[in-house]
Amino acid sequence: MGIQIDALKCIACMACELACGYHRDDAFALLSSCIVPYRGREKKNYVGVILKEEDSLVAARPEGVEINRIGEEQDPEKEADASAKPMLLRESCDLCDDMENGPLCIAFCPTNAISMA
Amino acid sequence: MEYLASDKIAIVDLATRDISEDELDEDLVLDKIGGAAITRHLYDTYESAQSNDNGPIVLGTGLLTGTLVPGASLGVMTAKSPSTGKISHVPLNLDAGMELKYSGFDYIVIKGKADKPVYLWVHDGILDINDADDLWGKDTWTATDHLRSEMGDDLIQVLSIGEAGEKVSDLAQVGINYWQSPDRLGFGKLFGLKNLKLIAIRGMGLLEISEPEAFVEDCAEVIAAIRSNPASQKQGIAAAAAALGEEDLGDWLGPLTHRHMACFNTPVATNTFIFTDEDPTLLKESTAAEPGFLLTDIAPLVSLKNAGLSAKDAGMVLKACAKYGIDGAAVAELTAKSGLTDPGEIEKTFPDLKGPVESAGNSIFSPWAAIGQDINGNWERRQAVAYILGLHPVWFQMATEISDEKLLDLAGLGTEMEFTLDTLNEVIEDILA
Repeated sequence: MGIQIDALKCIACMACELACGYHRDDAFALLSSCIVPYRGREKKNYVGVILKEEDSLVAARPEGVEINRIGEEQDPEKEADASAKPMLLRESCDLCDDMENGPLCIAFCPTNAISMA
Repeated sequence: MEYLASDKIAIVDLATRDISEDELDEDLVLDKIGGAAITRHLYDTYESAQSNDNGPIVLGTGLLTGTLVPGASLGVMTAKSPSTGKISHVPLNLDAGMELKYSGFDYIVIKGKADKPVYLWVHDGILDINDADDLWGKDTWTATDHLRSEMGDDLIQVLSIGEAGEKVSDLAQVGINYWQSPDRLGFGKLFGLKNLKLIAIRGMGLLEISEPEAFVEDCAEVIAAIRSNPASQKQGIAAAAAALGEEDLGDWLGPLTHRHMACFNTPVATNTFIFTDEDPTLLKESTAAEPGFLLTDIAPLVSLKNAGLSAKDAGMVLKACAKYGIDGAAVAELTAKSGLTDPGEIEKTFPDLKGPVESAGNSIFSPWAAIGQDINGNWERRQAVAYILGLHPVWFQMATEISDEKLLDLAGLGTEMEFTLDTLNEVIEDILA
């Protein structure tokens, strides 16, 4: 069981990020979310979603999902996002296991871009 | 103000470079609720009959902006419109309202005129007035790139003017990042008159909630109701136009459509990115530096289409408008009268274009959300609710699932304060007076 993301359905509204932030902080904030739409390529309209799981960092890109195992060396030729948030320092997705209504990112995604695998 | 707020109002005097701060008084919130009602109150408070700066510009957010209430994206900019002469309100769309909400300031009053070009940098509860010598003269795209590169953060929201604003054109627009904004009221001229090139905003704060579980549960019910409505699943600027009673632009824009993009936490994407210099079906990141343009305003599209332009040419015109910092709706209206259809020829007319233009409307609210609407009917009241509470004004016209009473309940759960429908009606009556 885990989160599945269809980046092509994402409209970059950030509801998932805010819902996840609430789960972490019991307040509205965006700095501790483990699911984040990336918005840093604005002029190119290149938008996807990054999810931090226990052992991996999932990049749901429009062209497909890329899973990077945490701790493994990344491709040095890939351009880093200048505004990439320190995802690796954040807590991993726990599927909102302390909440009745399941993962809040799924509950608040308006386009059903996020679902349970 | 303890909840859903940073409890801070900044008063910036560009003439003296003094910056002072006030708390956001709970009595003011009980009396005015928030958003445009408080920006108008601050405008009246800081307007000076003696000043020669065309009055203050006040930025703020709605009471619910930045929360999980669907559509809670709105920031608001209040000033005296050079186009209509009225003290008016322009929404801050995309992520600008949210970033302002989390910036550490609830409201920002900008008064006076700087003696040389400056910009404001708003972040982490800090507001700086910085020299803009190296930004003045740059178009909005170059200025945004320059600033983000200097700060090392591509998520900074940039409210900027281009050449039109610097030359204090009546049609100058305050753009948001690279795109056209809802500023149809000439606020870009006010930036120019103040020697204010741009306002850069980044929000990394936190909003406490009075009753978090109940608040979020209610928000979840609202979004579930919205999701169950098939009409809410239609995305993009063409679908929004059709939903509001304008003609469907889908067939015209379809071949160029890359993806639809939403403003912060807005369930319907009212913006559409078209690729004019790239294959619209491309999924990978484009290698082109500027593959296209984000369409954010319905009215100029309709006008340019009716003037006989192709969707690609309309996109090129609006991109040029955004870079120059001129209102695309005004350009489209004047272009229709001129009979020009070539984007390059249209762009050459920018320096000489003058109002008045009908596209500025005659409401105190930007006509950005007036597409297909009878503004003498319920439109202004509905807009007032959106501008006070912080909801996306275009989406809110379509959102039948969310009532005033539900919004006031959420405001109460979020703030530990009680807001009645009578209070809301009084506040609306006050700002519409």
